[in-house]
Amino acid sequence: MKRTEDLTTQAGPRTGRAGAIREVAPLALLAMENLTKVYRDPMTLKPFTAVDGISLSLARGEIFGLLGPNGAGKTTTIKIVLGLARATSGVVLLEGRDPSDPAARRRLGYLPENPCFYDHLTPEEYLDLVGSLFGIRRDVRRRRAGELLERLGLGSHARKPLRKFSKGMTQRLGLAQALINQPNLLVLDEPMSGLDPIGRAEVKQLLRDERERGTTVLLSSHVLAETESICDRVGILSSGRLIDVGSVPGLLSTGVREWEIAAESLPESLSARFRSAGHRVERVGPRWVVRVTDGQALQEAIAAMTRETVFIHSVEPRRQTLEDHFMRALAAAAGPKP
Amino acid sequence: MSRVLAIARTTLLEVVRERMVLTLALFGVGLVGASQVLSPLALGEGRKVVTDFGLAGSSMLATLLGVFLGSSLLHKELDRRTIYAVMAKPIRRSEFLLGKFAGLWATTAFLLVGMTAIVFLLLLVVYHQAPWVILGSMALSLAELLVIVAIVVLFSSFTTPALAAFFAIATVVAGHFAEDLHYFGLQGSALLSAVTGGVYWLLPHLDLFNARGLVVHGLAVDPARIGFASAYAGLYAAAALTAASAIFERREFR
Amino acid sequence: MSRARSLAALRASLPFLACAALLAAAGALHADMRRRVAAPPVDELLYYPSDAMVRQASLGYETAASDVAWLRGIQYYGEHRLTDQKYAMIGHVMSIVTDLDPRFESPYVFGAFVLAQELKNPEQGLRLLAKGRRANPESWRLAFETGFLHYVCRHDYATAARYFVRASRLPDHPDYVDRFAAFSSQRAGEVGMATLLWRRVLLTGNEYMQDVARRELARLGEEAP
Repeated sequence: MKRTEDLTTQAGPRTGRAGAIREVAPLALLAMENLTKVYRDPMTLKPFTAVDGISLSLARGEIFGLLGPNGAGKTTTIKIVLGLARATSGVVLLEGRDPSDPAARRRLGYLPENPCFYDHLTPEEYLDLVGSLFGIRRDVRRRRAGELLERLGLGSHARKPLRKFSKGMTQRLGLAQALINQPNLLVLDEPMSGLDPIGRAEVKQLLRDERERGTTVLLSSHVLAETESICDRVGILSSGRLIDVGSVPGLLSTGVREWEIAAESLPESLSARFRSAGHRVERVGPRWVVRVTDGQALQEAIAAMTRETVFIHSVEPRRQTLEDHFMRALAAAAGPKP
Repeated sequence: MSRVLAIARTTLLEVVRERMVLTLALFGVGLVGASQVLSPLALGEGRKVVTDFGLAGSSMLATLLGVFLGSSLLHKELDRRTIYAVMAKPIRRSEFLLGKFAGLWATTAFLLVGMTAIVFLLLLVVYHQAPWVILGSMALSLAELLVIVAIVVLFSSFTTPALAAFFAIATVVAGHFAEDLHYFGLQGSALLSAVTGGVYWLLPHLDLFNARGLVVHGLAVDPARIGFASAYAGLYAAAALTAASAIFERREFR
Repeated sequence: MSRARSLAALRASLPFLACAALLAAAGALHADMRRRVAAPPVDELLYYPSDAMVRQASLGYETAASDVAWLRGIQYYGEHRLTDQKYAMIGHVMSIVTDLDPRFESPYVFGAFVLAQELKNPEQGLRLLAKGRRANPESWRLAFETGFLHYVCRHDYATAARYFVRASRLPDHPDYVDRFAAFSSQRAGEVGMATLLWRRVLLTGNEYMQDVARRELARLGEEAP
């Protein structure tokens, strides 16, 4: 049995081979073990590794964000999870079943990136089709379709052909068809794409509601700010490898970038002293702001200001955003520049 | 089965809502009308001309519809990525393919039956005849469409729409020459006979489904022949679809 | 304002007008070419397909192809009837028609008729009818028409009588076949018999055969005592 670490509770150096994270959690809804996908160029037969040894598992009732730049392997990973592509090696299990088994997809909901549906159908017809593919009884699927269309703001467009839908409306329909079977696992590829701020807020609330229901959500996104606000855990992919994974608070708690000390006034001498020590000092509106990057400097700055009877208005840590952490992780994975 | 029917229904709706079916239907009606216009020139054989052109036209148009729609059947789904949302549902690839086949066949069948009905009505109204025997020919043509549509689906499962259409038409043409090929092979060496025999076995024997020469002269089609031809069509179509499923199963969606 | 609108409409319709004008010019040129270069009758239908390949080329639509060939053959006959009354290719065309659809009886009958009456080649006509009888052994019509040709063209009354009797024994024949079988068996007068036969053609033949029947009846009327 391999030694594992619960990274959700631990902050600190990670073990395992360089650039790869291993994590196994009990009762996984979705489990990937050393998942690898190698494509071969049909002309040159040159191999290209799209997914490289990903091991990951998702527990029930969590929202997991799969992050990474373009070409990192997010969509390929998702395709393997859904049975749309076959892994070259490794194991993927959906509630203990291989994804190629149709029964494994019975409680799965999927929203593709930039979804495209049969545009000769209306939303009602499309949801009816999807519902029948899930084996849902006609009266039940019609009722659920009606409810979902209302919930996603498409109630008045239920009989409009999909070819007349805008990108945002198509995205909403995509969410509706992903939810019609009341899934245990929702896989969403760029769910916020094409939505205005109100739409995004509604989708985030919808995802929170689903989490309350006990649904697990795997979402892939470029929009890190949105991901940060909604996800419980995130995994960062780069060049097909999982280079970082953990809870959002856990990942960011180690990354306090700097502290900001806001003061009502600052004597010139103190200002000069701080600047010469390498701290940034600037005027922001009516206040002076001193930015220090480490805890020791913070203590010294506060002490100096107290001695000079400077009124300290506030001391705030400026934490890393997910974006900051993401860029740092990618840079670290890329290695030192030659 | 309900999943297959759901895909079949969607395919049928898609095709029916496309203009091509309407265009071909109008063309078919025009063909029958034109044959009626030509009939006075046939020196008393107007009824035969209308029947021949009507039956040939409906068979040909239904075949063309099947080939041209079927050749882009899967390519369109992959190109527009409509297939991703569908295949993530609990449906097997073979069920999806079977549904597509069923929807396409149903479309061609509707065109064929519709045009045959128009021919029948024309003969009834203008020539005061009720040639029920043409239903026998129609039944054979419907069975023939099973074979042709299955062949198109097979080619569309692994190649581009243009090539799929080309290969399908080539196979249909070769299918009409199958008996001649077989006869030709029997006249030659053992090796030639074996090769042509193999090719003969692979090709669809489309002559089986051609009873237009009988019904146009008022002769009924033997029900046993319809049964045998339908069984052959079912087996051949099943073979083609099995191969298509096996190929489609291995296909990765990029 | 309306002048501007008219100009705009005219400009928009220019491509269509140009298209119509070009098509009219092309049509006029072709009509002029046809007037200048009239093909000699013998070249017509020379490139009509030969028997062996024609069935294969029909790809399962033989009977419709036979109708096309039949219409072409009738057109050929009609054109030459109005010009030089030379029908050299009629046998070839009717042969094609019947290769495509062996059950199609009218081409055997019409083809044999033209070969015997117009090309004065009853043997070729009888060969065509024999081909028809081999493909349709139960056809009273082909047996009857064979008898007809033997009677009016070859004046072989005994052979004609045999075919009339054979026709009277085949299914679905009309009543007049029995009468002709009886008359010919009784060896009724030649002119009287021939008159009856041509009158039958006047009633049952197509418009071209009716014209020939009128001509023959007129000739028999002059010969009658």
